[in-house]
Amino acid sequence: MTPLLAHVCTPQSMGDWRHLLAVIWDFLSLSLFSLGGGNTLLSEYHHLSVDQYCWLSSRQFADIYALAEAAPGPSSMIVGLLGMGAAVQEGPLWGVLSGVSAELAILLPSTLLMVAASLSWNRLRDAPIRVAFERGLGPITLGILFAVGLKILRISDHDTPAYAVSAVVCVLMLRTKISPLWFMAVAGLLGGLGLVNR
Amino acid sequence: MDPQLDPRPPLHTPNHWELFVGMQQVALSSFGGGLSAWSERIVVEQRRWMGEQDFLTGLTVARLLPGPNQINMAVYVGSRFYGLSGALVALGGMLLLPFSLLMLLGLGYYYLHETLWVDRLLAGVITASAGMALSMGFKIAHSYTRDPVALGIAAVSFLAMDVFHVRLIPLVLVAGPLAMAWYWPRRTPQP
Repeated sequence: MTPLLAHVCTPQSMGDWRHLLAVIWDFLSLSLFSLGGGNTLLSEYHHLSVDQYCWLSSRQFADIYALAEAAPGPSSMIVGLLGMGAAVQEGPLWGVLSGVSAELAILLPSTLLMVAASLSWNRLRDAPIRVAFERGLGPITLGILFAVGLKILRISDHDTPAYAVSAVVCVLMLRTKISPLWFMAVAGLLGGLGLVNR
Repeated sequence: MDPQLDPRPPLHTPNHWELFVGMQQVALSSFGGGLSAWSERIVVEQRRWMGEQDFLTGLTVARLLPGPNQINMAVYVGSRFYGLSGALVALGGMLLLPFSLLMLLGLGYYYLHETLWVDRLLAGVITASAGMALSMGFKIAHSYTRDPVALGIAAVSFLAMDVFHVRLIPLVLVAGPLAMAWYWPRRTPQP
């Protein structure tokens, strides 16, 4: 039996062009599967960057997710940070270059589809496939979002105070309109004071 | 609204440069949140590029299709005027500043994350972001509570991913067509 738990992750060199093409292909093909605004892809990003390509540790992934949520602009730009993680040990320039390429790869296919749909929306609006797509993919998105949320929770929280903070934030996100930045600021303070740990 | 009663100035077709600058204004205004509200205020109210109805249609398409919603919205606005080139210009305008800032933050992170105080701070911040991630499912769950089939599909998708570690692409390729077949509009005459 293969010792699954003893699986050692060794990062491959990005200098190998076949490896580079494989990475670009992974992001290009995920693009069209980003349902529900892109958050459904987070588990796949974790799988690619932590388990498959070993760019980041699980702990770094949790940090990167928080960073992308806290930074201004669409939080789906997390892909740029993952790409940066793949090459930043080669220097800042390579890090940025790799980040930009990853972001372009994840955005290109969905952008092309969106252009096509915007230009032909009048024909698509009442087409049966539009109705079936919307109603059929909705529940799948729901199930995936729960799985993704639980995954992020598991990689971020490791003790009771941490889980308690996450639970409170989750309830406040649903019940109030307070900006999430406040939750992150308060939780950051709790972390700085040593009240929540990894 | 009756166009003759609309007190606002008439609609204006932006050129590529105006698209780029306008989308940059949207991105800058929304530092701190509320991106879709800002894009409506700027695209519809201030710059008068399109009417409310057009904008709302855009929101519908942006949410329906794969891709991040706000980014899809920029693509919609741009492609309405100049097709692919308009879409790319609008996208560039919307992403240039926030993405550059994110790259700087990222470099800061990768070079400093082993510093004690950064690590401590992030240990706290990730508990909040985990709570935000957990809320995503609950946020849309209420639309499906009256449809047992939808709940079943959601449960199967959840279990496939969380318990059986099925990857996203095979999951959507198998479950997607089945769910679409179930919800395909039937031509039964209304009673």
